[in-house]
Amino acid sequence: MTLAGAHWLTPVRATGRLALAALATVGAIALFAIRGLTAMFIGPWFPGQALRQFIAIGFYSLPVVGLTAVFTGAALALNIYTGGGRFNAEQIMPQIVALGITRELGPVLAALMLAGRVSATIAAEIGAMRATEQIDAMRTLSTDPFRYLVAPRMAAAMIALPLLTLVADIVGIGGGWLVATLTLDFNPVVYARSTVDFVEAWDVGSGLIKAVVFGFIIALMGCYQGYTASGGARGVGRAATQAMVSAGILIFAMDYVLTTLFTER
Amino acid sequence: MSAPIPRLEWKAVTKRFGGEPVLDGLNLSVEAGRSLVIIGGSGQGKSVMLKLALGLLRPDAGTVLLDGKPLPGLAGRAQRRLYDRAGVLFQGAALFDSLTVWENVAFRLTNADGVSPAKARIRALAALEQVRLTDAVANLYPAELSGGMQKRVALARAIVADPDVLFFDEPTTGLDPVTASAINALIVDQVKRLGCTAVSITHDLASARVIADDIAMLHAGAIVWRGRSEELATTDNRQVRRFVDGGA
Amino acid sequence: MGVVVLGLATAFLVYLFTAGDFGGAKRSYPLFARFGQVGALAQGADVRVAGVKVGTVSKVTLDPATFFARTQLAMDPAVKLPTDSTAKITSDGLLGGAHVVIEPGGSPDNLAPGAEILNTQGAVDLLGLIGEVVRPKPAPADTGAK
Repeated sequence: MTLAGAHWLTPVRATGRLALAALATVGAIALFAIRGLTAMFIGPWFPGQALRQFIAIGFYSLPVVGLTAVFTGAALALNIYTGGGRFNAEQIMPQIVALGITRELGPVLAALMLAGRVSATIAAEIGAMRATEQIDAMRTLSTDPFRYLVAPRMAAAMIALPLLTLVADIVGIGGGWLVATLTLDFNPVVYARSTVDFVEAWDVGSGLIKAVVFGFIIALMGCYQGYTASGGARGVGRAATQAMVSAGILIFAMDYVLTTLFTER
Repeated sequence: MSAPIPRLEWKAVTKRFGGEPVLDGLNLSVEAGRSLVIIGGSGQGKSVMLKLALGLLRPDAGTVLLDGKPLPGLAGRAQRRLYDRAGVLFQGAALFDSLTVWENVAFRLTNADGVSPAKARIRALAALEQVRLTDAVANLYPAELSGGMQKRVALARAIVADPDVLFFDEPTTGLDPVTASAINALIVDQVKRLGCTAVSITHDLASARVIADDIAMLHAGAIVWRGRSEELATTDNRQVRRFVDGGA
Repeated sequence: MGVVVLGLATAFLVYLFTAGDFGGAKRSYPLFARFGQVGALAQGADVRVAGVKVGTVSKVTLDPATFFARTQLAMDPAVKLPTDSTAKITSDGLLGGAHVVIEPGGSPDNLAPGAEILNTQGAVDLLGLIGEVVRPKPAPADTGAK
């Protein structure tokens, strides 16, 4: 019996195949990202497409981001109130809420809502275009799909998400403020002042940098999964789900990496 | 060789999918101004041939030559030159659903050639007229049109920039016989009017007979027969006979 | 919906940055008070009499000559305080919630707008007190006994 046919090697071979497939996927996504970024920075550009995407990604995500942020801010405030109460430090709640929202929850929540809403939409849209040969057709019409489809979505997401994060920051702090003043007898003015006096530019700024990266991830996963979709309508559905899941996981992973970098400053 | 350089030539082209050869050392060429139809059963690699000629796929071996020069890689600038000279009618029309009919037809003009929207619209309307569509459909979206109308719009999009080479991928699939023959007539009209080279793939023999000057039969990854359109009825090639008589 | 979210966010942002700014102080009159220690007292904190809010702390600055904290209080015009009133800084909780409590005196004259409350009692450094209880400073006699 040859070594290649040995039964005891089966798990090894399976592991190897899995590892190779994973590496191939990572490589393919990296190449896709480079092509997308190249198209984004080197024209020809399609500003009309970018604007259309910016409105679809940014403006229409405002309600969902706002609602998520206000409830999270409120819940966060209650939790910190409980935690602070264990050593009689309820009064530092405004500061901790502000820090938690601007540095972490604002960007991550906005990004996750967009991963669900936008990443899946992009994947379904581009996947359907792939399935009906619209992408091939676009290339034969002398138009690079990376410039017409991918780059505008990347640019739009990378601009829209920081702006949405800013809104999420404000609304989230507002949620905390509402709960604190309405149910916990905080002085509204003192709450507002202690927030404004405490928050530093870098708290908000680091959150916005995260948001730019997350925006890129969301557009990249949507475009990649859609562009490489195969297998008709089922393939399009699968691409949408995978875009959402992979974008979500990557957002959490990158969030940790970025937070580490920002903390060591 | 004093024979004229063919407009488009597949030279010893091999293409594999997952190790299985779909095309196996295929040779075929089209002279300028001729209309070639490639016939063959489903899954014989007709679409692959077309995609290779369009540079949407890369051959594993051999080359596709345009005017005697090999097609460059997938994203080369030189490839633009092929696309600038080519028009393609895709099987499912492949119209962009987010754009109106006239924007679809004018897509190449506005997005690749830098024509102003106003001028592009005029040219798009002219192209629509060529395929017997009126201005009334210009502002509709593709989803609002019937399958046959969508094919016409796609044809208008293919001819809007007066191409040298037209590609047709199963132009009559999914259409009723009346609509199909209308599309066939339009294709013949436009190829004649533009004086261009046409390459079509189809399994619809009726359509092939109408469109073709030359017919080639693809079977098991190679061209098994090639002849003039009228010779299709008289040839004693076994595969052709089976395809023609079995289909008729 | 998007517009609503944007509008609310903008409104709250404006509120955050303007809350506690009594630049005009339209319907209030100023009083001043000096404290040796204001602790966690912040701009915007309440001023209360008998537990009822009658004004806010509009400014907290350091008097560079005496190193006392000088506070400006924006008072409800309806409340007139006797000149011998006492201002105290107290807290709701251990670490914050600081506010000014005024105990009215018995003088027939009232504090005029812009006057200073002379009887004050600053914030108690609670953490410092706790620290002394938890980790008492060793008495001088003990140092050698070890």
